Amino acid sequence: MKKSSIILMAIIALAIAMILVIYTDSSTYSTFKEAKEKKTELYVVGVLNKEKKLDYDPVKDANLFTFYMYDNDSTECKIVFNGSKPQDIERSEQIVLTGKMEGDQFHATKILMKCPSKYNQDQVEVIEATTASL
Amino acid sequence: MDVNYVGESLLPGQIGQFFVVLSFGAAILSLVSYFFATNNPEEKSWKTLGRIGFFTNAFSILVIGATLFYIIYNHLFEYHYAFAHSDKNLPTHYIISSFWEGQEGSFWLWMFWQVILGAVLVFRSKSWEAPVMTFVMLCQTFLASMLIGVEIFGSRLGSSPFILLRDALQAPIFSDPNYLSMIRPRGLNPLLQNYWMVIHPPTLFLGFASMIVPFAYAAAGLWTRRYKEWLTPGLPYALFAVMVLGTGIIMGSFWAYEALNFGGFWAWDPVENVSIIPWFTLIAAVHVILAYKHSGHGYFSATLLSLISFVLVIYASYLTRSGILGETSVHSFTSLGMSGQLIWFNLTFLVIMIGLLIWRRKELPSTKKEEDIYSREFWLFIGALVLTVACVQMISTTSIPVFNAIFGTDVAPPIDPISHYNKWQGAFAVVILLLSAVAQFLKYKRTDSKKFWAATLASLIVSIIIAAIAIYVMKVYTNVMYILITFSAVFSIIANISILADAFKGKWRLTGSAVSHIGFGLLVLGALVAAATNEVISLNETGYIGVKNFGKEGDKFTDPGENLFLTEGEPVQMGNYKITYIGDSVAPPNVFYHIKYENIDEESGKVLEEFVLSPFAQNNPAMGGLIGTPATKHYFTHDVYTLITAASADSQAPISNLNEEEKTGFEDYDEPATYQVNIGDTLRYRNGIYIIEGVNKSAKLENIPLAEKDVIVGLKIKVISSDNKEYNAEPIFLLKDGHAYDFNKDVSEQGLKFRFSNILPAKDKLEIMVYQKPLPEKKWIVFKAIKFPYINFFWVGTIVMTVGFCMAIYRRVKDGKREANIES
Repeated sequence: MKKSSIILMAIIALAIAMILVIYTDSSTYSTFKEAKEKKTELYVVGVLNKEKKLDYDPVKDANLFTFYMYDNDSTECKIVFNGSKPQDIERSEQIVLTGKMEGDQFHATKILMKCPSKYNQDQVEVIEATTASL
Repeated sequence: MDVNYVGESLLPGQIGQFFVVLSFGAAILSLVSYFFATNNPEEKSWKTLGRIGFFTNAFSILVIGATLFYIIYNHLFEYHYAFAHSDKNLPTHYIISSFWEGQEGSFWLWMFWQVILGAVLVFRSKSWEAPVMTFVMLCQTFLASMLIGVEIFGSRLGSSPFILLRDALQAPIFSDPNYLSMIRPRGLNPLLQNYWMVIHPPTLFLGFASMIVPFAYAAAGLWTRRYKEWLTPGLPYALFAVMVLGTGIIMGSFWAYEALNFGGFWAWDPVENVSIIPWFTLIAAVHVILAYKHSGHGYFSATLLSLISFVLVIYASYLTRSGILGETSVHSFTSLGMSGQLIWFNLTFLVIMIGLLIWRRKELPSTKKEEDIYSREFWLFIGALVLTVACVQMISTTSIPVFNAIFGTDVAPPIDPISHYNKWQGAFAVVILLLSAVAQFLKYKRTDSKKFWAATLASLIVSIIIAAIAIYVMKVYTNVMYILITFSAVFSIIANISILADAFKGKWRLTGSAVSHIGFGLLVLGALVAAATNEVISLNETGYIGVKNFGKEGDKFTDPGENLFLTEGEPVQMGNYKITYIGDSVAPPNVFYHIKYENIDEESGKVLEEFVLSPFAQNNPAMGGLIGTPATKHYFTHDVYTLITAASADSQAPISNLNEEEKTGFEDYDEPATYQVNIGDTLRYRNGIYIIEGVNKSAKLENIPLAEKDVIVGLKIKVISSDNKEYNAEPIFLLKDGHAYDFNKDVSEQGLKFRFSNILPAKDKLEIMVYQKPLPEKKWIVFKAIKFPYINFFWVGTIVMTVGFCMAIYRRVKDGKREANIES
């Protein structure tokens, strides 16, 4: 057998092994209930509770932002984020959090928001209808 | 339904749409003609027809570009593209950015570059013209179809940049004939209002577009059975594509570093990964092509890698444009409803690749001879394989959303993608760097092992010493992986420098490769050190209460936050620097926040250096509030990067709209307080005290002549603020012709205004009125500062690598001409 074929096979084997390892590295999208059970770091997908207050007071603590979110099972949970408030969170349609449960609060390390993109925002912003004379 | 709309200019759109359709038709004509020209080389008319189609297509694309530019430049917001991507306030140079902000514009850019490359091929590729142009025009046909924007059999084909706003969107306002004067265009995303955004997309798309040429040559070689011949003309194009794409990717990285707010230059975002994957495979292709040319080994790999690189470019295009990455990417790409079309585009080229390879599998040149282990081709081959495996890793992780869509699973990508990718790609980088050092000492076919070891060991020893010093100086000794990468990068640089030294002695042939490998080594070194040792220097340890989460050590949830709160004028010590927020200035639409950095020597208290960074932010409610753009202080050995993450609202508030005439001079003040005082009284105000010092009977007023009976009295007031600053004010009271007047005086520094409003002889009192401005809420900002050490290696490495590619292209083009001369 040629050396190159042996190496080729070895590398294909390595690639397969690698893909398997990648999938052990991968995670799942969970809910707050699962997060409570697992206690490990994971993703939670959900939507912002716009009724409740988004609390960020940089004068007190520039690195504390709290808000409430519903997960996909409509369970509500308080989210604590050790950082500044992401700018467009109010407009988000969906939030993907990375973090883990600490007691009854979810401590997020990363907040990824899906916002209505300006590309497909099917709305026209209308300036207060004024006459052209102004 | 027929409304006569006012102010619409419909002609440009009609011209544009006509040429969109023409460009598509011409591309098909050219494709078909070149196809038959390849199969019937005797019939010259096919080739002529193919050229006619190509030039018609080229002309149409130029007209489309000019028309679209005209629409954006003249603010014709009746067109959806201009409405969605620009507004009237946009500076002219950013009109170029808005041109390719949308998918339609970026498809146009891709087609435009393909036209330029096609023109070069038509004039230069001689006998290769027909088969190569067949594949180029096939790609051009697919791209042109993306712009058509018409409904065929119920599904929309493409998305036209010339669609009218009132056709693109449904809104009640479009029943008003005057709608044009009432709409507010969305404008260009502030993140793209950066000069790098003017130049990064064209470079990147030139890189993507030029990947078609190696594909076309490889496919044409298989199709026309000119197996070995395509490598010589194809190689310079492959090198060109690698060079341009590499530059484009790093430009994007520089843009991210200079203008985006994620605090770094590389984030392993899916969008970044999919652009780097075809770059890797084409680099692997270039190396295997060289190995094949010199040794006859690896024809299949060379062809496969050249072909698959372009298939991966289309795959990248599919991933970024179809919206499938939704939950995993910070880049908000959404679907324009063209994912079906993109899948067809992708599958067509994949099928062509597989089909051609299977069709010609028995005829592919191969050699029975075994590679020698002391030969360069053997290790080039290994290097290419390692690069391929590195790509497999990136594709597998990046494509998780695609697998989810295909198999209906719900797998999430790794929680911490950066460490996930670093772990894998770091290991691959070590192997690649070591190979790029060792293989340079080997010769094709057979190397004298003694000479090889002598040269290698010499470089190895020098590298170990330099790497040890570098590891110590750059402080990367904390992690075994860092040490390994640093060492292998240094080894690659040193080995290639010694090759370069030989080159100056006369062996010019390897210069280009030596220079580009040195560049690559520097690039990896810079990326590693900057990524591994960057530190957030704005740690908020003061605002952080030690008991939060009971201070579990090493728990990132309890780490002090990375954002620092700064009040205007109140300095804070941050690492080596004393930093002060000294104010802001507005240059619509941006607000610049000026932060003064002072490096003060602890012992002498001398200011060693001082500079002001002015990161800015744009408050753009439509785009999601405050969008910050960092400011960076560049040093030779490190950068200090500063970004605003929040700011007090008032600095963003619109300026008061009161007209000058309506101002009374009092509207900024609170309700006044009236006091009856005597000389010598001391009174308080919000920020200190003031003393009634005495009366000035000889006060004077300019421009007012005084009669004898008139009384004019000044009241001397001394203001002492809480920080012991003294101010004097003298409001004046005037009795003229029996009427009382008073002339107020400001102490604007303290926001005070005094009126001497009356003299009460009966009570022996003086009456004053004191106006105070409401205490301004002190302006504040929240910001983040990161120190990136040795990041200049990253940028310098990129430049060196590009120079090396240029040298290699020059050499290969010359070689190609010489070979052509020998043949003829």
